[in-house]
Amino acid sequence: MSVSMPPADVTDVAAESTQDGPRPQPVWERILRRTGRAVIVAFWVMVVAFMLIRLAPGDPVSAALGGEASPETVAALRTQLGLDVDPITQFWKYVWAFTQGDLGTSLLSGVPVTEMLKTNLPVTLWLIGLTVTMTMIISIPLAVFIALVRIPALPYVFRTLTAIGLALPSFLVALLLLYQFGLIWGIAPIFGYEPGFPANLHYLWLPALVNCVVLVPVLSRVLYSSILDTLDEEFVETGVIRGVKSYRFFWFYVLRPSLAPTVVLLSYMMGVMVGSTVILESIFALPGIGRELVTAVNMRDYPVVQGIILVFGILVVFLSLLGDIVASILDPRVKLT
Amino acid sequence: MSTVTVTESPSDALVEIRDLVIGIQRTRADRLILVDSADFDIRRGEILGLVGESGSGKTMVCRSLIGTLKRRSATIFGGTIMFDGMDLAKIDERRWRSVRGNRIGYVPQSALTGPNPVMTIGGQLVEAVRCNRNRTERDARKRAMELLDLVHIRRPEVVYDQYPFQLSGGMRQRVMIAAALAQDPDIILADEPTTGLDVTVQAEIMKLLREIRTEFNMSVVLVSHDLALIDEVCDRLVVMHGGTCVEVGSVEAVARNPRHPYTIALNRARIELAAPGSELMTIRGNPPGVGEWPSGCRFCERCEFAQDDCRVGASPPLLEVEPEHWSACIHASLLGAASE
Repeated sequence: MSVSMPPADVTDVAAESTQDGPRPQPVWERILRRTGRAVIVAFWVMVVAFMLIRLAPGDPVSAALGGEASPETVAALRTQLGLDVDPITQFWKYVWAFTQGDLGTSLLSGVPVTEMLKTNLPVTLWLIGLTVTMTMIISIPLAVFIALVRIPALPYVFRTLTAIGLALPSFLVALLLLYQFGLIWGIAPIFGYEPGFPANLHYLWLPALVNCVVLVPVLSRVLYSSILDTLDEEFVETGVIRGVKSYRFFWFYVLRPSLAPTVVLLSYMMGVMVGSTVILESIFALPGIGRELVTAVNMRDYPVVQGIILVFGILVVFLSLLGDIVASILDPRVKLT
Repeated sequence: MSTVTVTESPSDALVEIRDLVIGIQRTRADRLILVDSADFDIRRGEILGLVGESGSGKTMVCRSLIGTLKRRSATIFGGTIMFDGMDLAKIDERRWRSVRGNRIGYVPQSALTGPNPVMTIGGQLVEAVRCNRNRTERDARKRAMELLDLVHIRRPEVVYDQYPFQLSGGMRQRVMIAAALAQDPDIILADEPTTGLDVTVQAEIMKLLREIRTEFNMSVVLVSHDLALIDEVCDRLVVMHGGTCVEVGSVEAVARNPRHPYTIALNRARIELAAPGSELMTIRGNPPGVGEWPSGCRFCERCEFAQDDCRVGASPPLLEVEPEHWSACIHASLLGAASE
């Protein structure tokens, strides 16, 4: 993979204003506008989640009851699911219920979907949070080290290793790490979960590490090349000549101007990773919403599938919002439009 | 390399550059020489123009004055740069820290990438004010406002909180000049400070540099390839070609009465001096490539006056052709008449 990742929304520094130009837009205003946009996107996610389930082949009612149900039973369930009215009305009912905190009820267990999310979602959120933290903790020092320590062979080794990391499929990495850490060394639990911090970290660090095997190569490469680009910039020389103290220099002249693309990329990658939690939660038998989704799809438990797709969608929207905001705080050149 | 030393009067010289040789050590035995026997003074309170084509070594000379040659993997191989009793060609990184910025300020080449993009204008100025100096945050803030005012930024209180990308190129360059002034240096080095700015803004920046010189009696070194731009503001000129100084002297002497064929050719190529309707003169050939310098005078291949004796021996040293005017042409005495 080449290192030419999209460099976020960094403007080409050509935006000019005259001396009497407008005052800069306050940060909170930019953040508010970006959040407003995210809410609109989240609404479309609802539309998609709603439509997907209705466009999928098979009828939820016959799937739930089987072929031999009496017409009365079918009609009763249709009413119960609210499928006896036209789709537009169904949609607005669904949106209305959502604003009331109601995502429907599982066809199988009769448990409200929101209840299921309450127990399952934290597991997934912890996994995502831990993945982000570990990725940053590994990627940033790694990229900084490779970029600043000028050992000629190092970048080649770095590129080769990261290419290998990128090429490995995460389910394979999961199985290999599980085998090594869980069975051979016995330092990680093979399956199971225990809610509550910090006990849950014991069960989550290995799945998070699997995510890191994919994320660290991408992020450290992007950060590495951003740092190299930054070091070539003239303002770095200005800082050297000014005699800026080394810790200030490192943050304001090296790391901070380089971080924005990495942060934006990480937030988008995490959106992708939400999908891969489905696989990881299955392999590691974690009771997160990813595994719940697999079960629900297999069982044709439509309200649950619809609810979880919605939550996944909102999660992706929220993560990219967060990434953009953090990036724009780090680097004011990043546009929040 | 020349062995004859130039004799400038050392009385008011702030920096004396003698026989400076700069190059890149490619392998143990292979050196690429970029600048070879640069010889000139920077005098107190003068604006000195350093003129030359790309590859003439002017930027390298400039970098050697602020100790950032290493960033371009170049090294000083010989010569001295005497400044305040120190030889800048030999001091180590630790001592450089007390000279750079503090004693010799620097205005970067590109207004677009010179200021730090992630810091506010005020933040950068406060940083510059506080570097190597114990000042309180409040003091530094006040000083930063003064500096913005000094470089004629309107509404400094607004600009203070702005980021560089919100300012125009000319304003950014003013800010960079303010930042260079923040540490009260003796010399300000400006390496092509008007690159990428439009002509009116260029003129304003030049005017500002002249004002600063007058107000603080600072020395300003102005590096440029544009003779027309800088001979308006400079007191003295150093013309560089092929890694050496070919002519040194006051603006009047060098620009109006050039005694080196290269300077004569540069002057003829000036568009604003060309008679209307006449063909614009250009300089024949290309500047000699680094490391491919001909023997003898490095301009001889392009020179219309070249004689056989120009093509032999080492590169000719600077010789005083009239008081305060040096030329590296061995036939300089004949050129006085030729250029009339």
